[in-house]
Amino acid sequence: MPLPKILARAAGLATEAGSGALQQLQHLRLPGVGQSSVTDDPDTAARRWRAVTVLADLEQLRAETPEPLARFGDRLEVRVTPAPGGRGAELAARFRSPVTEEELGELRSALREAKQRIETGEVLRNEPQPHGHRKQTPQGEALDGMVERAPKEGVL
Amino acid sequence: MKAATWTGVNEVSVEEVPEPQLLNDHDVILKVKQSVTCGSDLHLLGGYIPFMRAGDVLGHEFIGEIVEAGPAVRHRKVGDRVVGAPFAACGNCWYCKQEQYSLCDNGNANPGITEGLWGQSPGGCLGYSHAMGGYAGSHAEYIRVPYADVGTFVVPEGISDTRALFASDAASTGWMGADLAGTKPGDVVAVWGAGGVGQMAARAAMLLGAEQVVVVDRLPERLQQVREHVGAETIDYSSTDVLAELRERTGGRGPDVCIEAVGMEAHSSGAAGVYDQVKQQLRLQTDRPTALREAVMACRKGGSIFTLGVFAAMVDKFPLGALMNKGITLRGAQVHAQRYIPELLERMERGELTTEHLATHVLPLSEAPRGYRMFKEKEDGCVRAVFTPGS
Repeated sequence: MPLPKILARAAGLATEAGSGALQQLQHLRLPGVGQSSVTDDPDTAARRWRAVTVLADLEQLRAETPEPLARFGDRLEVRVTPAPGGRGAELAARFRSPVTEEELGELRSALREAKQRIETGEVLRNEPQPHGHRKQTPQGEALDGMVERAPKEGVL
Repeated sequence: MKAATWTGVNEVSVEEVPEPQLLNDHDVILKVKQSVTCGSDLHLLGGYIPFMRAGDVLGHEFIGEIVEAGPAVRHRKVGDRVVGAPFAACGNCWYCKQEQYSLCDNGNANPGITEGLWGQSPGGCLGYSHAMGGYAGSHAEYIRVPYADVGTFVVPEGISDTRALFASDAASTGWMGADLAGTKPGDVVAVWGAGGVGQMAARAAMLLGAEQVVVVDRLPERLQQVREHVGAETIDYSSTDVLAELRERTGGRGPDVCIEAVGMEAHSSGAAGVYDQVKQQLRLQTDRPTALREAVMACRKGGSIFTLGVFAAMVDKFPLGALMNKGITLRGAQVHAQRYIPELLERMERGELTTEHLATHVLPLSEAPRGYRMFKEKEDGCVRAVFTPGS
């Protein structure tokens, strides 16, 4: 394999590694540090309600499923309940049937986006940003993978 | 445009980078007048916060002039001279409504990283790594500021650029520490760290009515600034037993309020310092909490401690027993600058809060690598290096 192809493949692997590391971040902590004593099996985790608290009027939120959650159609169950202490409403969603990790990521991203649209009227963008020369290093490629995956990851 | 970028561990360069664009309707673009190094940048510089990509633009404490505004910006206009808050905060989420702006739910476009690290994501910080949103920083000729109606503040004419510059972070962070630690008239307040933030915390404590304020550091030029410009007492920890000295100065009680303004790269001498350095370099702990440990031991029973220094993840040998049994309240936060900047600008205008002395080295942006080296190594009495991209 020619050298440029080998380097490109190596960079791709580093990016994938970064993305994968982010998926596993909460499980990479030291055993017993910052983790629940029991962690969900994948099926239970996939069935959990994923929720954001939105500082918005409860009835308005109940009237119509907000975008981009609405795009999932009947595949999603959506629940809107009052949040305590004047915090607005809890907007929760889960898939009706088993889905892939990628689809769960899309749900996380959609919940965050729905909250932003309601609270601020827009979805925050951070690309393109000014930057200097991006050296091609394994650490840099891994970080690129993490950043690409970040909107779809986390504990949500 | 020219910008100062992180190009590797302990490497800063000045590069030609594209100019920023308005990406959201609430954005403005500032022409940066002044932008200053912050102690927390050193954690990025040294690779202790491993979410920097080569080429990232540094800087989060700045003043500039608005040259372009998005269509949804209502309260700022082109031509305004403004100081910017380091954290991007939407102003509309529950945290912003509580004035906890650095906890904004909507300001970090990369929430997956910090949720994984800390269980929840704080807001995003300009020029402070991809974990904090991946925003380009202010050590550049121009910077994009999101949510500009919330995150920029018009500077009154009577305040110089250099004075107002520090309202952005050093003064607002210091003020937050003194305020949220609960400083009240009659208190004795001890501050660890005589850098820009520590000095401003000490000044804030005095203006909030503290009876006695003591600042702990080892660098003579910084301790001298504390005495001359802040008016607080000092302790040189390299030649004085800090715990004994504080007991003696407080009738054996210890300070009511302790403010830690040092962070994850605390310096200490002796075996304990070597131990912390080794553990950090081996990644067996991510942070060196020397000053925080000392604050816990020094604090009076039932007192409070506020952590202003930046920490990343895990610390070792933390005196939790002392904290619990002495009934101490420990708090911390990234800066809720939007909460404090308006009041600070008023105090600056009245002359109650002066900051110009912190700008020990004012340099053109082209000298950013030298400025960071001087700042990191404390060369030539450097307290803060200020860059002037327009010059």
